[in-house]
Amino acid sequence: MQTLLWVVVSVVGAVSWGVLALHRGETINAAWLVLAAVGTYLVAYRFYARFIATRVLELDPTRATPAERLSNGRDFVPTTRGVLFGHHFAAIAGAGPLVGPVLAAQFGYLPGMLWIVFGVVLGGAVQDFVILFASMRRDGKSLGQMAKEEIGPVTGMAAMLAILAIMIILLAVLALVVVNALRDSPWGMFTIACTVPIALLMGFWMKIWRPGRTLEATAAGIVLLLAALVGGRMVAESATLAPLFTMEATSIAWLIIGYGFIASVLPVWMLLCPRDYLSTFMKVGTIVLLAIGILVVLPPIKLPALTQFIDGTGPVFAGKLFPFAFITIACGAISGFHALVASGTTPKMLRREGDAPLIGYGGMLMESFVAVMALCAAAVLDPGVYFAINAPLAALGGSVDAAAETIRGWGFVVTPGQMDALAASVGESTLLARTGGAPSLAVGMAQIFAGAFGTHLTALWYHFAIMFEALFILTTVDTGTRVGRFMFQELAGHLWEPLGRTSWYPSSIFASAAVVAGWGWFLLQGVHDPLGGINTLWPLFGISNQLLAAVALAIGTTILIRSGKARYAWVTLLPLAWLLVVTLTAGWQKIFAADPRLGFLAHAASTAAEMAAGTVDPARGARLIFNDRINVAVAALFMAVVVLVVISSARVWLDITRGKLPATTREAPYVESGYAV
Amino acid sequence: MPSDDRTRLARGLAVLRRVSGMPDYAAFLAHLRAHHPGAPEPTEREYFAEYVAARYGDSPTRCC
Repeated sequence: MQTLLWVVVSVVGAVSWGVLALHRGETINAAWLVLAAVGTYLVAYRFYARFIATRVLELDPTRATPAERLSNGRDFVPTTRGVLFGHHFAAIAGAGPLVGPVLAAQFGYLPGMLWIVFGVVLGGAVQDFVILFASMRRDGKSLGQMAKEEIGPVTGMAAMLAILAIMIILLAVLALVVVNALRDSPWGMFTIACTVPIALLMGFWMKIWRPGRTLEATAAGIVLLLAALVGGRMVAESATLAPLFTMEATSIAWLIIGYGFIASVLPVWMLLCPRDYLSTFMKVGTIVLLAIGILVVLPPIKLPALTQFIDGTGPVFAGKLFPFAFITIACGAISGFHALVASGTTPKMLRREGDAPLIGYGGMLMESFVAVMALCAAAVLDPGVYFAINAPLAALGGSVDAAAETIRGWGFVVTPGQMDALAASVGESTLLARTGGAPSLAVGMAQIFAGAFGTHLTALWYHFAIMFEALFILTTVDTGTRVGRFMFQELAGHLWEPLGRTSWYPSSIFASAAVVAGWGWFLLQGVHDPLGGINTLWPLFGISNQLLAAVALAIGTTILIRSGKARYAWVTLLPLAWLLVVTLTAGWQKIFAADPRLGFLAHAASTAAEMAAGTVDPARGARLIFNDRINVAVAALFMAVVVLVVISSARVWLDITRGKLPATTREAPYVESGYAV
Repeated sequence: MPSDDRTRLARGLAVLRRVSGMPDYAAFLAHLRAHHPGAPEPTEREYFAEYVAARYGDSPTRCC
């Protein structure tokens, strides 16, 4: 009976992939994407995750977890698996899996779909599971600490530096997504501006007025937030208020920079913690709503399986299908950032070892499903509309009429009237060149929701989607700045001891300012970029996130080999090898490619040529060239760090397999579990 | 409200707290009394402050 069930699941999955691969027609139903993904996830979870759990990691149901041994009612809390699954999912899912697939849709839906599903099954979920396991066996140690203990102190430092650098690029690119979604949008700007006083009110509610009543305060916050969303329409339609909230990109960028700095130095209960609660509930709620919408409507996919842009001429971002499809979609397929959460809060909450596959592997499958839904939401748009929203203004030709002409040249149809009507239907003045993925995702989501719940609310759904993305991106900006601040203090403490004191106010201010200046610089660079910034910064973010994944997989491999499991090391070596090929190729191309749209050095050279010819303002040209050089340095730094980590890990692997080094690892000692069955 | 409805509600709220990473004072007190009887018990306000400071410390609680 069991066998029969798995045969049915496998056949459904295989048939769905067959339909996706062989389909030649105008549209294909989103149901095939959903079925192919879910079928693959189920088979992978039942067979591959179980293989890793029993053979490779040898989970021991009788062994007590850190949550059981060190239970303290604060961070170490044994948590039932269903609840912990929710907690872990809410921690790992964010803007990444929503934005990446939307951008990668410029290649068509098929490359993204294949990478999201097979990347997660063989790579992302394996990474999360192995790191969660490793941290669980080591009292919840962080990735950096494990790197230091299992590989060496230099690798530990390199890993920390990499994490900090990645954080800075990540925050810049996410903030840029928000800037592009909010510029010239009084409705969106008003709603997001309201989240600050709402969060302050919640903070005072649960700290001073009714201590500890977090749920109550959050419920009130959600009601106020929805009121602000509805109120945003009135602001946008008011002749006196609308201009106050209509801002250009540079001003919004400066506001976010100021906000990030203040949020990092204020006490957490005031702003950061209430925003975190608010965004968690909105996030989980919206993702559930999106799943219901897609399953109810089962919309037709209008994007082709493949577009001509796989040759690298695409307007959304430069670069060919290989390696850039695998860079653009990081989260959802494999995300190095997860290794930080999987070695942070979650391992301290696992009640039993046997729960680790569901949380680590299963949690990542769920995020991958979110990425598939985001892909569906982008692919339900007319391809012409998709490119009109996602291509930068410079590539489109400046005006709605020119854009329609340009897009016709690419082989897709969109009329100026169609774009104007679409913008009006979602309550915006224009949707042209709103790069960054969030607006086109919001339009797609609004269409899906309108199909499921009625069309009269389209504008509200659009702004709901924008609000929820901006809300949790800004939450990432403030939590990320704070975490970056602590990392900076730890690193700077090695140079001058007082800088490392986290409770010393001047040190906190200095470290916060340094981190904010770091990502703020890249954010402003993106805002001023003639091609819209996403073009340059998103690939840099993808490269950095995938390189962090490579670091995590190198640490995972080291731990496997140190535990005497060298014969199973391919489980982590396989995705590691793939990531190295992808990221080093992409990094190399970003630096050295001859096409100025792709390579930083070529872009600097072409800008210099334009300056010499007098077609570019000298001050502006000098700034562009400086930006290119910084980008080269960042890409080179990422590549150098990952090569260093992999080489020093490989040395440990070889020494152990040759018998020069004993295969020992630093697991916490065995204690029998009271939960064992 | 009948009492088993009330416990069901309380359990539901506890799940919401845990999923979203909020502090759970009742569970903390229960833990303290079971494992460290006689230990000083922080007030809800003190517990909230400690919990929040520990949670939003130096490791990321949320991903991108």
